[in-house]
Amino acid sequence: MDTIVITGASSGIGLETALLLTQYGYNIIGIGRSEYKCKQANEWIISKNPKAKIKFYLADLLHQREVVRVAEQIIQYLNENCNGKLHAIINNAGCVRSWYMTTDEGYEHQFALNHLAGFLLTYKLLPALIKAKGRVIMTGSESHKGIKINWDNIMLYRRYNPLVAYKQSKLCNMLFAKGLNERYAAEGIHAYVVDPGLVNTDIGNKETGMLVNFIWSLRKRYGVSPAVPAKTYAFLCEQSPPPDGLYYYLCKEKKYSRQVTSQNADRLFALSERLCGIQYGKVQKL
Amino acid sequence: MNVLITGAAGGLGRAFANECGRRGYNLFLTDVNEEGLTCIKQGLERRFGSVVATATCDLTEADSVDSLLSIIDKYKIRFDMLLNVAGLDFEGEFMKRDREDLVKIVLLNNAATLRITHAVIKRRKPGRPFTVVFVSSLASMFPMPLKATYAASKRFILDLAVSLRHELKREDVNVLTLCPGGMVTTQKTMQSIKAQGFWGDITTNPLECVARNTIDRALAGKSFYIPGILNRILTFCSRIIPRSWVAAVIYWRWNNTQKKWLNS
Repeated sequence: MDTIVITGASSGIGLETALLLTQYGYNIIGIGRSEYKCKQANEWIISKNPKAKIKFYLADLLHQREVVRVAEQIIQYLNENCNGKLHAIINNAGCVRSWYMTTDEGYEHQFALNHLAGFLLTYKLLPALIKAKGRVIMTGSESHKGIKINWDNIMLYRRYNPLVAYKQSKLCNMLFAKGLNERYAAEGIHAYVVDPGLVNTDIGNKETGMLVNFIWSLRKRYGVSPAVPAKTYAFLCEQSPPPDGLYYYLCKEKKYSRQVTSQNADRLFALSERLCGIQYGKVQKL
Repeated sequence: MNVLITGAAGGLGRAFANECGRRGYNLFLTDVNEEGLTCIKQGLERRFGSVVATATCDLTEADSVDSLLSIIDKYKIRFDMLLNVAGLDFEGEFMKRDREDLVKIVLLNNAATLRITHAVIKRRKPGRPFTVVFVSSLASMFPMPLKATYAASKRFILDLAVSLRHELKREDVNVLTLCPGGMVTTQKTMQSIKAQGFWGDITTNPLECVARNTIDRALAGKSFYIPGILNRILTFCSRIIPRSWVAAVIYWRWNNTQKKWLNS
């Protein structure tokens, strides 16, 4: 049975995607921060699909030591139960912040969770992904458009703007996926970014200030149910052979920002590798 | 420039460490949280290529400080700047707090700050100007029911710093007192600020700006820094309104807020 790791699986898009994928018969490993919410999510999925194969690991992916710890747990599980193979990883955990806040390493929260956590976790699970010629899927956003990476001040230390930080982190997701394809296509890895559209989740209400909270509460009313984008994740996990596109919305390929170039991807890889203390493989010409 | 930061593994201490790292200073970081120290050291080295030394230390224990100082002396490290950040608070009514918790506030915020300040000024680089930053609080300006011990301990820091500034002026030591309002240092403080609603939002100072401006001002020889215009206005008002009235208003406000927060 194929196994899929989903981060941020205890609520919102991650939870609905986890449910849908168990219905397709996948073995799901969810990662969540709160023990209580993970337990609830587990019960909810089992109640909807009694045959679901699902297991939750607790980790606060903001902090790199937690990412590394949970990656080791997952690798051990995969080696014992799945011949060390991982069919897909869905880097879905994300956050919005009103203020400049930092992780234990001193990195800005949105950049650290929305980009670096997935960057590091994918690296740690890469051997298992390569074994299964697996897929790496990021939760992106249409908001990655209309912005450039601020290379000199990537964590927006000066003039912190929550929205810009969010947009930039989503552009990082695009560049990460592009860079992964350029490095590991020969090993059979496919990386994608899903645009979930406007979805009715609590992302903007968690640990944010009054303004962001208020705006998001108004905006999310017009959002679709998280079950809608979940179908796109399932599509990308299911398709065989894996589709060749990069950016998907409602199971269809979509145009992305012109900032998503190999040059920018290489630059982001170099920077992120330094911040995580890791080294991905070199770009391969196919 | 060699800088020693206490309480460097979290909140404002970490923000100062980041700011100093960005400026290319060499850092000596202490905290009780060993894991946190390792993480921030790693972050600073990866991000800025900083030279960082760390030592776990419980500043409330004289022995722990002695062993910290012996490490400093062993490697003959001498400093240009001390950022006194370590401090703590337990929210809530005086009689509902644990007795030893209350004493601990004074032990860390006051006794430990005295101990480390005295020790580090003795280990300043000879013949060079020296800078000390004390982190007091906006709470030091008012008598604060429900935060009584904390506010009083911060008042101690404020008065100490103002006096020391004059005492040490001739020895080329500049002392700056920082009196910030609320800052989003942890997820817990964020919830507390959220519970204060509108007032919480507007008296909150961005952590990274406070760290940057504090060091700029300290190096420029300034004595005092209250971040945020509104906080400066509040401070001014506290000087012209009778203290018992201020205490009554604050009690009314915090009582509501804390109920909301502790129940959330």
